[in-house]
Amino acid sequence: MAYVMIVDDDQDFAETIALVIQKEGHEVQNKYDTESAFQSMQDRTPDLILLDVMFPEDSSAGFELARAMRHENEKLKKVPILMLTAINAKFPLGFGPNDIDSEWMPVTDFLEKPVDFDVLREKVAKLLDQERETD
Amino acid sequence: MISDETNQAAAYELSPSQEIPASLEVISTERPFSESLLVHNVSWFCQFRWLVIAILLCYGVVGLFPQLIEPFGIRRPGVWPFTTAGILVLSNLAFLYLAKTRIAPVQIMTNLWGQITVDLVILTGVVYFVGSLETSIAFAYLFHIVLSCVFFSGRQSLIVTVMAIGMFAVCIMAEYVFKILPSMSIFTGSFREEYSAPILTMLAFNFFLTIGIWLAVWYLASHLSSMVHKRDFELAETNRRLVAASEERSRHMLTTTHQLKAPFAAIYSNAQLLLEGYCGEIPEESRKVIERISMRCRRLTAEIQEMLQLANLSSTSMESLTRVRMVSTDLLEWCISQVEIIAKEHNVTIKTDIQPVAMLGAEDHFKMLIVNLLNNAVIYSHRNGQVNVSCKPGPNMEPVVVIEDNGIGIPADKLPRIYEEHYRTKEAVEHNKESSGLGLAIVKHVAEMYGIRIRVESRPGSGTKFELKFPAFDVDLEK
Repeated sequence: MAYVMIVDDDQDFAETIALVIQKEGHEVQNKYDTESAFQSMQDRTPDLILLDVMFPEDSSAGFELARAMRHENEKLKKVPILMLTAINAKFPLGFGPNDIDSEWMPVTDFLEKPVDFDVLREKVAKLLDQERETD
Repeated sequence: MISDETNQAAAYELSPSQEIPASLEVISTERPFSESLLVHNVSWFCQFRWLVIAILLCYGVVGLFPQLIEPFGIRRPGVWPFTTAGILVLSNLAFLYLAKTRIAPVQIMTNLWGQITVDLVILTGVVYFVGSLETSIAFAYLFHIVLSCVFFSGRQSLIVTVMAIGMFAVCIMAEYVFKILPSMSIFTGSFREEYSAPILTMLAFNFFLTIGIWLAVWYLASHLSSMVHKRDFELAETNRRLVAASEERSRHMLTTTHQLKAPFAAIYSNAQLLLEGYCGEIPEESRKVIERISMRCRRLTAEIQEMLQLANLSSTSMESLTRVRMVSTDLLEWCISQVEIIAKEHNVTIKTDIQPVAMLGAEDHFKMLIVNLLNNAVIYSHRNGQVNVSCKPGPNMEPVVVIEDNGIGIPADKLPRIYEEHYRTKEAVEHNKESSGLGLAIVKHVAEMYGIRIRVESRPGSGTKFELKFPAFDVDLEK
């Protein structure tokens, strides 16, 4: 059983995703803003983080959190991050899986909303396996 | 408990948008050109100086043959053209070396001022030898006055003008008033030991007239130049605002997409929870209803995105676009990577034959154009179908991209309507219900913006071929 944290301001979406991951046998914690998520993950390190990008107070808070985890916190440096957002690369200023980069978008994988549960379950399992292997 | 800080009363007033600060005009008059342009000018001055050196050397060489110049009443110049040319060669080499090695803004300006000062000193020497008041050589100072008006601020060009007047005045005083230097002229018999009073008055008049003309030219040239600089600055400012507005619109479009798509993502996820039995078994009839909700939700999400893309394109002015140079291989590979998942789902193979050809345009728009066509080619292919993507240079080296599928095809009578917004053929709807009918409208918009010619060939049941002829890569447009 792994400990998965979902960081998304959309409570309806976060709760449905949480239910799917819980049914896979994992423990899930929902956080609806990045500050409380960062605080919480320092107290207990998650095995995987599902992270949204746009939050009401900051349209790039998801990026900021990912950067803070990768560059400012030794404990959270290696935690896999699955970015889950409604944005894609089809618009100017948009982004997608090809834009993953250690400085600008330091996440492990990317999924566009709306997401198919099959794809989500597959990605979560793959990232948790990778996490276990590196441990 | 709420802390005192969070409980304090606060006020915030919304201010109207800020105007451009007035100090910009001052900046534009103090430094009219960027550093890169100044470096270019330093080199250009040096090249121009080689021409002057060549003229002096020619005059010196011709002067070695009295039979060539004496019939025209011209004196033998002696060594001064060679000496002057020699000094100019040395100074020019030094300035060229400094232009290449000292590239800091202050060093470039020092180089320019050094060139002007040395030029004015040498020119004063040439003016003396050619005949300061007997000939019109003094007007050669105008080159420096006008060029300084163009390249420097008004105050700096006035300094150059005053320097020119000062050096010319020193030459005249030494030659005619204090008689420290003998009177010189290139013409035989034009100078004499003593001038009569009327001639001296005429020479004095010439001196003041020359200086008056210089000052008038300086005033006009610097005034015109400052007007041009101001206009340049206004244009640059307008351009900056257009780029900022374009960025702001892109940001707004991104937020709108997110705000519209996110609720549908939540609805879709909840429908999936029901369908996958996370909330217990549901009757078959209810399942069908939820499947319809789920499918429409997915379709609406895609449609929102395409409607926003189309709105974005329709409101984009060509003037505000930033065109970049792209290579067809990079662009097409990126676009193919975007449809790989959907191709896998449909079991469609993508074959490529892509040659590198240069393209010029807004990258986002070209990606949108190609991805939409590739998406259609994959979606309207039969299972186990094949999509061929090729890119070759045309007769004028223009990129020609061909996207060909062996899918359901389009009936001939419906071909003229395929670019209409929301238009979908009956055959397309039967094959794939999840399309918005906006993809080709987006393709048409991008093609019209960039003058891309699209030719479509299709045969129902056999497939469709889109051929895109991009305009030839225009180097001037890139600049």
